[in-house]
Amino acid sequence: MKTKTISLAASFRDPSGFLFTREGVLYRQVNQAYADDYTRLMESGLYWKLVKAGLLVPHTESDIQPADEKRSFKVLCPERVPFISYPYEWSFGQLKDAALATLSIQKRALKTGMSLKDASAYNIQFHRGKPTLIDTLSFETCKEGEPWVAYRQFCQHFLAPLALMAYRDVRLNQLLRVYIDGVPLDLASQLLPGRTRWNLGLSTHIHLHASAQKRYADVAVTEARGGRKMSKDALLGLIESLRATVRKLEWKPAGTEWADYYAANHYTGFAFEHKKVLLGDWLSKIAPKTIWDLGANTGFFSRVAAETGAYVISSDIDPAAVEVNYRQVKESNEQNLLPLVLDLTNPSPSIGWQNRERDSFLQRGPVDAVLALALVHHLAISNNVPLERVAEFFAGCGEWLIVEFVPKSDSQVQKLLRSRVDIFTEYTRAGFESAFGQWYTIQSSSTVRDSERWLYLMKR
Amino acid sequence: MIWLYLDPGSGSFLVQLLIASIAGLAIIIGASWRKIKRLFNKNKVLNDESDDEDEDD
Repeated sequence: MKTKTISLAASFRDPSGFLFTREGVLYRQVNQAYADDYTRLMESGLYWKLVKAGLLVPHTESDIQPADEKRSFKVLCPERVPFISYPYEWSFGQLKDAALATLSIQKRALKTGMSLKDASAYNIQFHRGKPTLIDTLSFETCKEGEPWVAYRQFCQHFLAPLALMAYRDVRLNQLLRVYIDGVPLDLASQLLPGRTRWNLGLSTHIHLHASAQKRYADVAVTEARGGRKMSKDALLGLIESLRATVRKLEWKPAGTEWADYYAANHYTGFAFEHKKVLLGDWLSKIAPKTIWDLGANTGFFSRVAAETGAYVISSDIDPAAVEVNYRQVKESNEQNLLPLVLDLTNPSPSIGWQNRERDSFLQRGPVDAVLALALVHHLAISNNVPLERVAEFFAGCGEWLIVEFVPKSDSQVQKLLRSRVDIFTEYTRAGFESAFGQWYTIQSSSTVRDSERWLYLMKR
Repeated sequence: MIWLYLDPGSGSFLVQLLIASIAGLAIIIGASWRKIKRLFNKNKVLNDESDDEDEDD
């Protein structure tokens, strides 16, 4: 009997192989065309070196039937990354670390006579808290005298958005949502401030690069090169130059809406502690394996959740809060918590070829449990979403819900209402319970001590 | 003609050749400089040998 095999839509471009799932297990077929490069990757020691450094996802070779037998050389079973995230969902530090990881991989590859044939940001995923290459078929044997074929892609996927975030506005990483193959360099060059021309790395890798692309747009590569060759030292020099340029780019989270939320005094330490205890109790009762903490700020309660052993996506709309969150992941070497930038009123759509290359945020669910702490008033009042629609959205994300109701009398809601007419007659605790009751049954509820807030545990 | 999976772009190739030849030269000079320094500092521990975190695995 033939079991169902599904080819994944994200990996159709590369003739070296492709991903497929069978009975829920992820496999990667290596095609005959890639046999030599794969063998070299494994036998040169590069594979182990990268896996040991946490830079490449490990795999085992499998003897299951290939998905496309005619072309198959081997089938690999890669270690599965718990959640696939995309560069337009990363904070500045995450994109920067992914860029540096790519360069570090390329440097090690060059030293073993191999080279990355692509430098796509989508090939990097945060695995056990660190940026890791997931595409085992990205390597090729280095051809004597040849330049780095993925140089342009590296500049578009990493350098251009990082420079724009550092020098213009941190929100410009959202350009990656529009341009799936990275920010066009002529656009980056125009948007960057003039002073970046005094930065040697940016003036060459972005500005000069953009002009050269324009000037040589209609010239064939072989003609443009005129037989010039590139030595191995030159290739390493290029990587060093890119690395120095990326390292110098800095962005500090400050002065935005949420980054100093916990520092500001919203409700007492008692309430905060009580919320933590309630959350811990309920989570240990329902024991979810996967959690989405939506509107997580800098991830305080995500960490309470991660301590139960669950894998937690800790999302927030504020890039500064996510940056603070990510820095803590790095500092404490947290492996089961992934901070992401996400606007819940317009979550990541599915994009790319046939709208199927990159999944929407919701397609990457559902999870076992959703946390929505101090979030509902933002969706219901700031964004005019009726409470039953908020409940419907959460219900689509997961079976369990831990949700906080913040009444109108709370200073945070008062702040939201200050600049507008209060049209929210349904926004009461009774209205909230009845709206959420259409999608959930309330399993448990409690006031949050020393506050007027309520915490609920609900099941779909 | 070498078959390529990505289109590297002619302009990108030229810029890369330019930057890489300069940066490559810097690497060679750097390596020679370290060699010379080593000749004169045989008994001293050189810190700049360990500037590459890629190698400490």
